[in-house]
Amino acid sequence: MSLKTTFQQHPERRYIMFGGKGGLGKTTFSAATAYWLASQGKKVLVFSVDPQASLSDIFQKDIFGKGPVKIMENLWAQEIDADQHIREYQNEIRQKILDMYGFEAVPDEIEQYIQAASAEPAMEESAIFDAVVDIVVGGNYDYYIYDLVPLGHALYYLSMAKVYDEWINKITKLREEMREYEEMVSRLKREKETEEDQILRELQYIRTRINTSSRILTDKEKTAFFFVVVPEEMILVDTQKAANLFAKFDVPISGYVVNRVVPRELLSQNIPSYLRNRIEMQDKYLKQIDEMFGAQVASHVPELERDVTGLPMIEKLAGIMFGE
Amino acid sequence: MSQDTPSTPKKGFFQNLKEIMYGMASHDMSRYALRTRASMEHLFILITMGDMIGIPILPPYYSLRLLPYVVPQISTWKRRLLREKDVSDAMF
Repeated sequence: MSLKTTFQQHPERRYIMFGGKGGLGKTTFSAATAYWLASQGKKVLVFSVDPQASLSDIFQKDIFGKGPVKIMENLWAQEIDADQHIREYQNEIRQKILDMYGFEAVPDEIEQYIQAASAEPAMEESAIFDAVVDIVVGGNYDYYIYDLVPLGHALYYLSMAKVYDEWINKITKLREEMREYEEMVSRLKREKETEEDQILRELQYIRTRINTSSRILTDKEKTAFFFVVVPEEMILVDTQKAANLFAKFDVPISGYVVNRVVPRELLSQNIPSYLRNRIEMQDKYLKQIDEMFGAQVASHVPELERDVTGLPMIEKLAGIMFGE
Repeated sequence: MSQDTPSTPKKGFFQNLKEIMYGMASHDMSRYALRTRASMEHLFILITMGDMIGIPILPPYYSLRLLPYVVPQISTWKRRLLREKDVSDAMF
């Protein structure tokens, strides 16, 4: 099934993701798909969850950390600045402590913890994860296109939702048990009411946020996940492994897009053996792709004469991908 | 965690009786419950803020959200978890 028909038959799939190994064209396809949808009159936001995002490069416009930036009619792009997000978040926590206890300054011990926690390796991913929730909860767009991180990180991103969820469940349970003891004491002391447990409320808030995000990633109705592959052995092996893992996390895989296919027409021309060999190699793996993924292959995209940056090139690529 | 309520200058007979009954019947129980509650509180802080005493526990991003609420308990928590056990533990 072609990409165009997939999109036309499933207008309810509003969350579009391109995944795959690094450097295969995830950002390029995200941009091209966003462009095509926008030109069809849909309001589209393409955003990157990659700390080393390259949407700025492809749109040739500095959008890093600037919120949604309008690229053209109906099309917005956003690159999340994780560091900025973390800084704002830290300040929010500090302010809350100052407000709650009327301190002049955050106690040393607490300040150290805030800084140490932010240096954790998981912090950046978590911050982006959290920022994405804000983006998708907003719901202002017809389509949300995730320019995902390379495979390994994407898996981490997915599993993080599960780990968080379990963690929250456990501590919520503990918190609820604590609540029972508190209520027992109030009953014994014949006090009318216990204070509302703020922490429990916070935990429930955190849980809703995490669930929102992971629900979208695994929503078979509303999400379409595409793998980007190129006809090369290593890529195919890795992609198949990843596809299995993604399936385990219930990510609905909608199709595969094959990139960098050297145009067959060249064969009829007088071309050097170097190129001829490459085409033969690709033929072998294209056959393999066909056997592996069959009808799930949504599009073949040729190796273009130059790299895809700037709107005219994106438009050209969108034309190829969506068959216009 | 109860708030101080402004006490009336003179307590009525029934108020006194109520307090005596409370002392005789359920003070111990509520003390015990409060103690359990306090250890759970410390366990909770350990799970969420373990990094503070060198026990890395996932995930720091969201534990920061909870930090403001446990600020007053942090020092007693650290004292309790890091102190050595002695004979008084059995007594109180």
